[in-house]
This record gives sequence, C-alpha cells and structure tokens, in this order.
Amino acid sequence: MSVSEFMPAAPVPVPGVAAMSQPPAGRRLDKKRFSWSSIPLLLPALGLLAALFVGPVIYSFYLGFTNDALLGPTSKHFNFTGTANLNRLFSDAVFHQSLYLTAFFVLGSAVVGATLVGLILAVAMQNALGVARVVVGGLVVVCFVLPPVVVALTWYAAATGHGTYTSLFGMPNADFLQSGPLLIVSAANAWNLTGLAMILFAAALRNISGEILESATMENANGVQRFFRITLPLLRPTLVTTILLMTLLALANFTVVYVMTAGGPGTSTMILPVYSYQQAFQYDNLGYGALIGDAMVILATILSFIYVRLSRERT
Amino acid sequence: MSRKYTRGRRLGVLAAIASAVSLIAACTGGAGSTSSNGKIVLRVAYGSQFVFLTPQLAIRWWGTVAKEFEKAHPNVTVQFTPIPGSYLDIVNKMSLLFRTPSTAPDVAELPVGQLGEWASSGFLLPVNKYLSSASYWSQIPKSVQDETLIGGKYYGVNHGENTNGLWYNMPMFRKAGLPVPWQPRTWADVLAAAAKIHATQPSVTALWLAGGSAGGTIAIQYNGGNLLAGSTNPTIYDSKTGKWVVDSPGLRETLQFYKTLAQKGYQAPLSELLNPNSVDNLPGLLAKDNTAIAVGANFYAESWVKSTCGPCWLAAPRIMGATKLPTINGQPPGYASSLGGWELSIGAQTAHAQLAWDFIQVAQQQTNMIDASNWGGWVPPSSVAASAPAFINYAPPYQAFFAKLLPASQEEPNTAPFTVWGTGFNNATGAIIQNPGISVSAAVNVMKSYITNQLGASKVETIP
Repeated sequence: MSVSEFMPAAPVPVPGVAAMSQPPAGRRLDKKRFSWSSIPLLLPALGLLAALFVGPVIYSFYLGFTNDALLGPTSKHFNFTGTANLNRLFSDAVFHQSLYLTAFFVLGSAVVGATLVGLILAVAMQNALGVARVVVGGLVVVCFVLPPVVVALTWYAAATGHGTYTSLFGMPNADFLQSGPLLIVSAANAWNLTGLAMILFAAALRNISGEILESATMENANGVQRFFRITLPLLRPTLVTTILLMTLLALANFTVVYVMTAGGPGTSTMILPVYSYQQAFQYDNLGYGALIGDAMVILATILSFIYVRLSRERT
Repeated sequence: MSRKYTRGRRLGVLAAIASAVSLIAACTGGAGSTSSNGKIVLRVAYGSQFVFLTPQLAIRWWGTVAKEFEKAHPNVTVQFTPIPGSYLDIVNKMSLLFRTPSTAPDVAELPVGQLGEWASSGFLLPVNKYLSSASYWSQIPKSVQDETLIGGKYYGVNHGENTNGLWYNMPMFRKAGLPVPWQPRTWADVLAAAAKIHATQPSVTALWLAGGSAGGTIAIQYNGGNLLAGSTNPTIYDSKTGKWVVDSPGLRETLQFYKTLAQKGYQAPLSELLNPNSVDNLPGLLAKDNTAIAVGANFYAESWVKSTCGPCWLAAPRIMGATKLPTINGQPPGYASSLGGWELSIGAQTAHAQLAWDFIQVAQQQTNMIDASNWGGWVPPSSVAASAPAFINYAPPYQAFFAKLLPASQEEPNTAPFTVWGTGFNNATGAIIQNPGISVSAAVNVMKSYITNQLGASKVETIP
C-alpha cells in the first residue's frame, strides 16, 4: 500500500462552505511561494529603500575612500585615494581611544544602565501600589520621551557647579561633568533610555502565566529562585531584543554627548559619532569622517547579527 | 476606462510634473536668478544669531542696508539667507551653500578665522580691482587689511573687529591697595595683582582666564591666544617651513601662566572656565561683581548698554576698568591682543559681481559701519569710524580704549589645520585648568601628541 492511497485525490467538500475559495491544486499555504506579480507591488518600497538607505550607505562607503573636504582645495574636486584613509584610521590614536570609549558608553548606558535599571523597575512595579506604579512609571516614561537636547541640558545643569548633584553631595563648586565626564554622559543616556526598556519589560512580564509562578511557589521556590529560574528565562527574547535596541540607540547617540561635552574635556568623551562629526565638520575632512561613520555601520551590523542569532537560540 | 478619464489623468500627471519642476526651479534658482517681477535677485548670507549681540539687532542692521541698497538699485531685490546657530553652524552652513552653485551667495558675511579655507576652495572672488573705489580702505590699519590677504589677493573687506585686553574691578583693586587706574607692564605685574586680590579677598576670582576644548577654537582669541601673542615667541604656523608649532618658548610661557593661576587658586571655578559659552558668559559674570581681573574682549562693554542688555549694567563704567594686557617682559609693542573679526566677501560664482560690491559699499558706509560695530560688539576697521562720536559715545569709556588696540593686534592663522592646532592648544590649557599639578611639559605633550596624530609628524615642529 502506497502513501498516496491515504491522500485524498481532491479537496473534500465541506457542507455549508462550498462557496469558500480553495487553494488551487498543488499549492500549499504552509510553504514559501514566489510570484512574479508581487514584484511591481514591492517596487515602491524597494525604490525607497534603495534611494534612502542602500544608496547613501554605498555612497558613504565610497566617500570614506576619498579626500573629499568641506572646505579647501579638494572640496570641489575630490579624488579616490585608495587605502590612504584606512591606513590613517588604523594608526589614529584618537580613533582607537574612541572605540574603547564607545564600548564603555554603549555597555554602561545601554546594557548595564538602561536595560538593567529598566528590568528592575518593571519587576518592582509589578507588585507596587497602583499610585506608585502610575507616578514612577509616568516619570520614567517622561524621561524617555524628552528630546535628547533637553536631556543633555538637564544633566549639564545638574552635574556642573552649583547644580543639583553637586549641591546634593555638598560640593557646590565641584564639576562632576569635568571630573567624570564619561560616567556622567553615560548616566544621562541611561536615564533617557530606561523608560523604553521598562515599557518593554513590563509588557513581557504581563505575558508570563501566573499559573507557572504559582506552581513554583507551591513547590517552595522563593522569590529569587522564581525570578532567576522562571521569570528571567521566559523574558529572554524580550531581554535580547531590548539589549539590541538599547545598544543601537546608544551607538548612534550623538546629541547627548555633543551638547554636554562636545567630546571633551580633551578627548575623554570622544565616542565614534562625535569623532566622525568632528573630523567631517570641524576639521573639514568629509572623506575621513565618512570612513569613521562606515566603521560604525559595520560595528552596528555585527552587533545586530550577534543579537539576532542569540534571540533565535532556544531557551 | 473611458478616454476622457485617461486623458484627464495624463493631464493631471503632466501638471504635477510641471508644478514640481517649477517648484524645484523656484527653490534652487541659480546664481544670478531673477525674481518673478523681473528684478535681479542678489543673495546675501549672514549669521543671524551668533554674529550680532542680539538677533533683533542683526535683522535691523541687514534690513537697513538692504533698504538703502534697493533704493539706489531699483531693479535689484536683496534676498537674505540668515544662518542661525553658533560659529560652527555658520561655517558649515556657509560651506554647504558655497558647494552648490545654485545656492552660493553673492555676498557673504564670513569669520576671518576660516577665510583662507573658503578662498582656497575657490569659493570667493578676489576684490583687489574694487578696492580703489573704497574710500574707507586706506583708513584701515595694514595688519587688519591683511586679514583678507591670501596668496597676494584680497578676498573681502573688514566688517568689524574684536580686540582684547584686561578687565578689572576698580572697587576690588582699591580694597586690595592696588592702584586705579591700573596698567601692568609685565605678566609678573599681572600675577602680583592677582596675588594681592587673592590674599585680601579670597572669595572672589582673582584672575579669570578660560581654556579647554568646550568653547571651540574660536574661544582662543578671547583667552589663551592673547597670552601667546604677548609671549617671547608667538608663532603658531611657521610660514618658512610650512609647519605647525607644537612646542616653543612662547607656548610654554603661556601654559605656565595658566598653571600659576590654577596652582595658586587664582582661577575661576571649573564650571565657568570650561563652559562651552565661557566667552559669552563673562559679561554676566563680571556684572555679578565677583571677578577681580579678566582677560577678555571689547564686546563686553557693548553687551552692558541698554540697547543690548546682555545683561544691563549701566553702572559698569564706575566699577570696571579696562587696560592693556602687557607682553611677558614688557617687550615691544608693550601690549598683546588677539585680533578676530568678520569680513564681507563676494562669492566666486556670482553673476553680479559689481552689484555685490555695490552692496558691500553700502554696508561699509560710515554710519552703517559704526552701527555694525556698536550692535555687533566690534571695533570699526576704519580709524575714522573708530574715532567718530557715534562710536566712541555708544559705550564710553571703553570704545575708544579698545579701538586703540587695533593696529598692533595679532591675527591667528586662517587655514584649515588651525582648527586642529587650536583643539590641541585647548586640550593643553584644559588639562592644566583641571589638574593644576600637571607639569607644563606634560601639557605640551598633550598638545603635541594630539596635533601630531591629526596632522602627521611631517607637519609639526618644535621651536627651541
């Protein structure tokens, strides 16, 4: 007996739904299909993507290998300079320092700061009183929706002489922004991003079945065990997505750092976006500035790839 | 589908394309474009917020000049491109305007600090042939004229200048037993006065001198650049070797001055000195009556008058004195002042060079030049305008004093690498302000390594 004997030769008519359209014979809805007729429908989106994303990125990579300048003899007629910019990048001490500073800024403000604090807040608010939940949640979300310029100015005012933080620590004439610039700008960025992380975690926590936690309680699991053995593993997809989102937002952050320190004092907060801007628009080296931007694109792509792979792994 | 519908849709598409083309054409309007009423359009670009003391004064001044020009040229319409934002925003926006022929201005108000870069880009038209018709040109000191001289050609005329000196609080000086009026002869005299102030009034800032990178390289001309100008070797760019100086006796003397202020506790709080707006904040800080001596610019006087009120401080002439910053050992010319200012230039791509020059001529008429200086916080480049009662009496007694500093004031290089050199210099002064214990040699190394990393070892030199 062959397998085909168990398969119906034609769709079995169902009483009452005879008029319902059936997929043509041979087509299966659970398999990926391709139809040439979808191309015209996709063209507008492809066109926009090519014009507004792929094109500029390719052009930016090209610019990174030229001597294009905002001002000066090569501003009008720039040339392809081969690996000259690349050689400079590899020997550029400020770029090397910038990589390290960017890593600290991203890890500190996005992964440790925003994600961890966002998670703690979301967990704490789960069992908080209604009023506390509304007030704290509202304040944290306000921090997130504030424009980056406002965030930067708020933290600038608070962390410099006679500001809120310096006064709180009893050192009104101190300047925390000058004595610990990277820490302060990272804190400002974390303060800005925490609201988003908290919203994402709060939504994910609501989806965790109360029955699982209740069962664990009946098995004498304490709060810490319930959190690390049940809640956290179930939050893993959200955790990975949040870290990815926070990392990319922090990596692309320019405004907060530029407004607060412009990369200084010296080069102590010269993260990659600020260094790219400084080269392109302060030193007029558009080509070299573009190459630093390209390095950021590659870095962001690698990080995205890693995070996406992590999120696909089974828990 | 009916024929009527198809035709109608086709006409609609054509109309849309035609509208879009007209809109793009109207938006871009190439150099030498004409307006819808057939008049010639003269495009003028200027900084609308940073350059004049208030945006309202900028609008008023440019509006007056345009009105006078259009009255004399009824067939021309002046079209302004006001550029908001800071110094750097003006430089970047202006550069982008010049890069595209359809947006390049016919007349541009440019900072002298970047003029060499625009000229070397081929964006500016030399004005040598027009200068003979400018009556005020011969009244401008040679050192000021040469701000626009690049490769033997003049690329604009001086619009207004900033000079610098020492501001001092007269009641504090009297309290410390120091002479009023005060004229120190050497840097040692300045530091001795600061020491007396610090000893008698420890709660006030004895000597205010900003530094660090937050204020950008434009700030150098208002702080450390003045000291370097008065040192034994003020060279920044060695034109003989084509190299940038990263270590010299002059640089070390300047950094030592910073170190003395920081180490002895004469300097202002870090949040004041390392503030991105340190230069602009100083008039307000002086008005708070908490600073004894400050290295600063002429424009503070114009900031305090009623028409500016930045802040209003009508009592300033009874409290604040202004005196020359001496050279380190009193060597000729006896005083030091950095020179900086704004120029009026003609775009190289203009189709109306003569009209552009005529517009500049209207802007440089004595009344307009004096108004620009009073409202922009400048000294007029012309010695005749600088001695006119309308200028002298605007913010007495300071206007006449700062105008006298103009001939011997020193300009900083105006080519692209100066921004890199300036950032290195700012990093060194910032390092000392923050860490008074750092040695001068270590601060020089901060500067040297930064500039060498950016420009390459072949582009820097040390003067023994």
